[in-house]
Amino acid sequence: MENTYDIVIVGAGPAGMTAAIYAIRANMKVLMLDRLSPGGQMINTNEVENYTGAGKLSGAELAIRMFEHTQELGVEFDYKTVIDIADGGDWKTVTCEEDNTVYRTRAVILATGTVPRRLGVPGEDTWAASGISWCAICDGAQYCGKEVVVIGGGNSAVEESIYLAGICTKLTIVTMFDLTADPKACDQLRRMPNVTIYPYQEVLEFTGSDRLTGVRFKSTKEDATERYVTCDGVFEYIGFAASSQAFARLGIIDRSGCIQTDSHMRTSVPGIFGAGDITVKHLRQIVTACSDGAVAANSAANYVESFR
Amino acid sequence: MITEISEHEYESLDQSSPKLIEFYSKTCGPCKMLSFVLKDISKQKPEFPIYIIDFDENRELKERLGVKGFPTMLFFKDGKEISRLEGLKQKPAIINAIDALA
Repeated sequence: MENTYDIVIVGAGPAGMTAAIYAIRANMKVLMLDRLSPGGQMINTNEVENYTGAGKLSGAELAIRMFEHTQELGVEFDYKTVIDIADGGDWKTVTCEEDNTVYRTRAVILATGTVPRRLGVPGEDTWAASGISWCAICDGAQYCGKEVVVIGGGNSAVEESIYLAGICTKLTIVTMFDLTADPKACDQLRRMPNVTIYPYQEVLEFTGSDRLTGVRFKSTKEDATERYVTCDGVFEYIGFAASSQAFARLGIIDRSGCIQTDSHMRTSVPGIFGAGDITVKHLRQIVTACSDGAVAANSAANYVESFR
Repeated sequence: MITEISEHEYESLDQSSPKLIEFYSKTCGPCKMLSFVLKDISKQKPEFPIYIIDFDENRELKERLGVKGFPTMLFFKDGKEISRLEGLKQKPAIINAIDALA
């Protein structure tokens, strides 16, 4: 029957693509959907050095390899935005924004991942995408020889700062805590001569009239000193928010918006599975997302088999 | 149809016909993934011309067209830029921008 599948996978990041590979190899009829493109957050990663056996390569390169792997195995893929998932017991329905397409499926694997979190301070909306960016690889080139501020101190912030400091004249890091990234990367960044780090700061606003011109922030320590740094551009890396709005009514998301799963990647709703960054977990990495995808596909295939 | 061109070849294009010009960079992940989306659109609309231009190797043209980052998609009709999309965008948004040129 058209539009009827054994397993629909929502999200084509490393978790979704691995789930698709395992599901199709378990003889399931599989559909993988993504609103934007295959790859998920991987595509914004300049360099991946910790995916076992892959050596050093760009996130996009790894994403392409994974996607091509799914296509070689015959996984059906479409660019669609899922807006609702309904639990009808033995059958689930997945509704997409485009033409209100509805898919009927025995099992759903949710692998929608996360999106970059925003600060929500004055000036952020005004300069979003015209001064404030969330992707150094995409927008860094225009700041060659200019001054840039990076907000955040985690892995993404530090890795992207190393790249930006190599092309900008001056790079200022403003972070809520101290640098919390991989110690080797933090040391490399601290050694760069054009980098200034302001830890324990709260961003107050982004300023400018016809273009972004600076960032105002204050210390979270007792002195609460306010500072203003002029800049040509800002890159924000303050973590990620779960992309779980489409399945809010299934009652499987926690207060942070993530899905609680068991060790088989099952949610509390039979036939609904979670995988990757969208699930409640300690370590969000490509390799752990792939692992989740494999486990979720295996569990989903077992679930589908129970109807045969 | 997707064709890679240089700034020199851009000058000799038929300026009046509707077209999509995409600036990309070889180092950019979202550009690589956008290429999958554009290939899919090209299958759907094989007659619509899509030209891709290397941002890093065609600096004069990107300056002239005010392209600051990549990927950037410019939608042209009758020699005028009708709209532009910056960054990796959803397929329906790109289709809508193409359909608006009709």
